[in-house]
Amino acid sequence: MFRFAMKMAWASLARRATRSLMVVLMISVSLWSLLLMQGVYDGMTEQMINNAIRSDSGDVSLFRRGYRLDPSLENVIPDTFPDGRKVEDVLGMDGRVGSFVKRLQQNGVVATARYSRNIMIYGVALAAEKKHGQLQRYLLTGHYGFGAKRKGAIVGYRLAERLHVTVGSKLILSCQNSSSDVVSISVRVNGILKTNNMSFDEGSVFIDLDLAEDFFGVHQGVSQISVMMNEGKDIGELQLALQQSFPGLDVMRWDEMYPALMQSRVIMNGFKSVVSLIIFGVSGLGILGVMMVSIIERRREIGIMLALGTEFSQIRIMVLIESLIMGFSGFVAGSLLGWVSLLYFRSYGLDLSMFSEAFEEFGMDAVTYALIQPGYFLSAFTAILSAAVISVYFPLRIVSKVIPARIINEI
Amino acid sequence: MTAFLTVRHIAKSFHLDKDVTVSALRDINLDIDRGEFVVISGPSGSGKTTLLNIIGGLDVPDSGEVILDGLKLTGLSERSLSRVRRDHIGFVFQAYNLLPVLTARENIEYVMRLQGVKGERCRIRSAEISEKLGIVSLLDKLPNQLSGGQQQRVAVARSVAATPRLVLADEPTANLDSKSAIALIDMMEKLNQEEGVTVIFSSHDPMVIGKARRSVVLKDGKLVANNAI
Repeated sequence: MFRFAMKMAWASLARRATRSLMVVLMISVSLWSLLLMQGVYDGMTEQMINNAIRSDSGDVSLFRRGYRLDPSLENVIPDTFPDGRKVEDVLGMDGRVGSFVKRLQQNGVVATARYSRNIMIYGVALAAEKKHGQLQRYLLTGHYGFGAKRKGAIVGYRLAERLHVTVGSKLILSCQNSSSDVVSISVRVNGILKTNNMSFDEGSVFIDLDLAEDFFGVHQGVSQISVMMNEGKDIGELQLALQQSFPGLDVMRWDEMYPALMQSRVIMNGFKSVVSLIIFGVSGLGILGVMMVSIIERRREIGIMLALGTEFSQIRIMVLIESLIMGFSGFVAGSLLGWVSLLYFRSYGLDLSMFSEAFEEFGMDAVTYALIQPGYFLSAFTAILSAAVISVYFPLRIVSKVIPARIINEI
Repeated sequence: MTAFLTVRHIAKSFHLDKDVTVSALRDINLDIDRGEFVVISGPSGSGKTTLLNIIGGLDVPDSGEVILDGLKLTGLSERSLSRVRRDHIGFVFQAYNLLPVLTARENIEYVMRLQGVKGERCRIRSAEISEKLGIVSLLDKLPNQLSGGQQQRVAVARSVAATPRLVLADEPTANLDSKSAIALIDMMEKLNQEEGVTVIFSSHDPMVIGKARRSVVLKDGKLVANNAI
């Protein structure tokens, strides 16, 4: 009987082919566009998070307790703790850790002949940063290095714009060293970075870690240790373990350092729920409309079926099958279009350079690489399936009111 | 001996308006034996259709009872009545009422499919009945490709395909010309004899009425005659 109900349902849809196709088209186009939006927005958010993790926080960052409130050179993580333990050793032996880098940083001033700005001076080991967060990939112009004499610097592109400097320009860096003396050094711009992490692009100068140690007068310790995990799922576990091992340190996850980015992800999840709701609404209303008209048109046919001994439950199955065929066809077509489009934008990116200034204000890349997650399709499928099932409620109420004895005698 | 179909004190009225009630049937009593070929006649509005609907479980009487082959239909749930219609009663309607999206063959097989009869058996039975009624050439056509007479022949085939105990035909010849009408009644009589199915049909056409072996006459909702012809 199921096959027969399927045939009846299919035949009914085919009889109103244009109308059925319009609903399928409506579901598939809306699903397509919403999948695309989801994938691109998710891509944007994840790119922002990825930029922040790669350029700064890592998956987990370690600071001396109190450093975040008072980022002075007094609050550095010592190379060796009084009990003889070293953070480096602990991290080096932990299989969950993929890589880690040490950074020494101090607030300071950068000046050219004409301009000056408050900045953060980062002492970094470029080779380690390359392996750690692939910092070299953010290089906009120049060279990824500090030169043979290690007197070079790498600056953020926004800072370079504001100081009107290019590769080769001379900069004077000034700061207060560990002895509270104001000290200065001159460096030349070797490279310009564009990370789309605004704090870096607007207010950072990277210099060699050894040079920074001399410059800041700190030879024992670093301000931050950034850790990348082999697997993201271990972040919480490692954070807890490190926090217990080193109670004098603040061990922070990336989302604790960048709560706004985490919020973006939460907003994205909310957006996904809204997307599912829209898909549910569009599918539900589309199917409801067609099924209502279809049932009203077929009152006579249904009356005959009931008169011949068809049970209401069998009519319900037939109506449900019709609704599911439309919903499922829309889902397949929309998902296929969405998947192909997302696949394209995942490989080639969505180039929104024309809005790049606006995007960059928010720390977003001008070219967004879409994400494809099975969850998009699963939630869309659930939404469409629910819509298809729920939207037959009212048409079935019409069916339940059909009186076969009256219908069959209508000529 | 108990009759195959017993109709006892059936009454039915319809409320046309708040204050207007029309009595369609008044205290109808009728016994029909297995294998009979009965016509219910009477002028328009005499209650023929209402009586057939009540006998067929498509409508419920205000009072009285219908017993079909020992099974009391009055008081059964809608679901049970559906099953009685599906398993025991075949219907032929004045307006043919074939399902428009199904071919003639599928229409004939429809009730068997509802009963869960397997495809191969359905096809054998539909072929057998179509052969008998001379409609083999129509089997793959949709109802809108058939003439009125052809549609009604398919409807007759549908009514007997699932081997019901009773066939109810409400004015089956009303939309047919006289030649087709006589041919259809002959066909139903043939099925009555060959398949052993009890047939009750309604008509007010004297030529068609004359083909029946028993005549029940209704007037103003009352049974006024019940005679063998």
